[in-house]
Amino acid sequence: MSEAVPAPAPAQPIGVIHDIGYRHYEGARLGRGHAFAALTLHSLRGVFGLGRTARAKIMPFVLFGVMMLPAAVSIAAMALIQRQAMTYPSYAVVMQPVLAVFLAAQSPYLVAPDLRFRVLPLYLSRPIATADYVAAKLAAMAAALFLLIAVPLTTLYIGELLVDLPGPPHSGEYFAALATSVVFAVLLACAGVALASFTPRRGLGVAAVIAVYLLASAISGVLVGVFESISRDEAAAWAWLINPFFLVDAVQVWLFGTPPNNDGGYPPGVGGPVAAAGVLAIIALSVAALLLRYRKAASS
Amino acid sequence: MNAVVAGITYRAVLGRRRVLLLILLPLVLLGLAVLLRAVGSTDERAVVTLMQVYAIGTMLPLLGLIAGTGTIAPEIDDGTIMHLLSKPISRPVIAVTKFAVSASLLAVFAAVPTFVAGYLLLRGEAGIAAGFALGALIGGIAYSAVFLLLGVITRHAVTIGVVYAVVWESLVGGLVPGARNFSIQQWAQTFAGQLTSTDFFKPTVTMGFAVPAVLIVTIGAVVWAGQRLRVLSLTGDE
Repeated sequence: MSEAVPAPAPAQPIGVIHDIGYRHYEGARLGRGHAFAALTLHSLRGVFGLGRTARAKIMPFVLFGVMMLPAAVSIAAMALIQRQAMTYPSYAVVMQPVLAVFLAAQSPYLVAPDLRFRVLPLYLSRPIATADYVAAKLAAMAAALFLLIAVPLTTLYIGELLVDLPGPPHSGEYFAALATSVVFAVLLACAGVALASFTPRRGLGVAAVIAVYLLASAISGVLVGVFESISRDEAAAWAWLINPFFLVDAVQVWLFGTPPNNDGGYPPGVGGPVAAAGVLAIIALSVAALLLRYRKAASS
Repeated sequence: MNAVVAGITYRAVLGRRRVLLLILLPLVLLGLAVLLRAVGSTDERAVVTLMQVYAIGTMLPLLGLIAGTGTIAPEIDDGTIMHLLSKPISRPVIAVTKFAVSASLLAVFAAVPTFVAGYLLLRGEAGIAAGFALGALIGGIAYSAVFLLLGVITRHAVTIGVVYAVVWESLVGGLVPGARNFSIQQWAQTFAGQLTSTDFFKPTVTMGFAVPAVLIVTIGAVVWAGQRLRVLSLTGDE
């Protein structure tokens, strides 16, 4: 504007420095550990929709309610007809579609928005490294899944203690199931978050995670059906392990000696160690994929 | 139908990572068929299991979900749908075009591989290959319409679609016989049953129910999607 009207140069400078009250942060710098904990807690709250819109809370809490249903029914059955309707080691295996839907619906939320809006450099400008970011997201998802399995299990156990069935309580089975739920949580969280991180689109992430679960379970189901129909039972026992939930169940059977939750059992002998190795391999592969993915995403 | 809109939609669905999933699912079906052939179990019962559990029960709803929501949901998510809606093309025509694209993708990625897998295992025996291919085709059309509608109605189309496909069709349909009447999978199997003549496959829903159901659901969903597009608002959550 001043160029448009050539005016005589002012005799003295007219620039003013305003004091807009900017202040430096003088408090304590809490550092990397605290930033990691804050990101983990924020992500965990986000998985259950806390701190998000009401609509984001519907899905996780409906699924949580569905997970609690068998526990409620089983407690009622114990009180009324003195019988366990649902055993602890079978809980997560029976409820596998619910867990898979929860994983598919919620894991893209953890990673997709940050990738899509390219805000990763903002995180990394804090004392957080790429590995910390990945670890925080994985820890949040694993904690959410653990809560999803462990809360109904614990409710069921408290119910059993209160109802006081004849005979000793199934404490051994309860603690075995609780330990296995850690394996479930870590395996599912790693696989789900790794798959979801490959697309910045939430919808496609949901579809990818559920597609991999349904693929695995359908392939396993078809192969088991076919192998059993031509009476190759040993091959059928191996085919169960393609489904990740039965894979973890095989580890549970091997570690704690619980009864298998499929029809026909798992391969005897090396089956347990192989299943455990499979679980570890999937976790290692997923974490490696995530680290590679975020090394690339962080620089873009 | 609008050729330009159709072309853009094809490019959008096939040009991204979405196409990887679209290819992976039928590839697994063909892989399973080859494996069954290798272990020598090419009897009708094994093939019917493969078709029911994998082709119709898993692959078809997933492909429907990916193609059906993929034709419109990403555009609504981005807000780029506005460029399309501001053109002088009637909104129902846009909905019909997107539906046709999704249905044709399902015909290519679901019905054709189903036929190839069936033919690989049984040749023309008992009409299984042709029957299940027809079922996949009809089911694919119905899924396209329903998931297109979901994509227009809600931002969480994929999640809701997954709940429908996994919880309603598999769990509820497996436990409550009445619920099978309201499952696209079961209608697809009814159509498959029209061409097959094997003892190992009995559809649970009658043709008299399935035909009107497919027609009403498909036409109703596409028309409703067109109407929803006329009043679409982009005030999103998150």
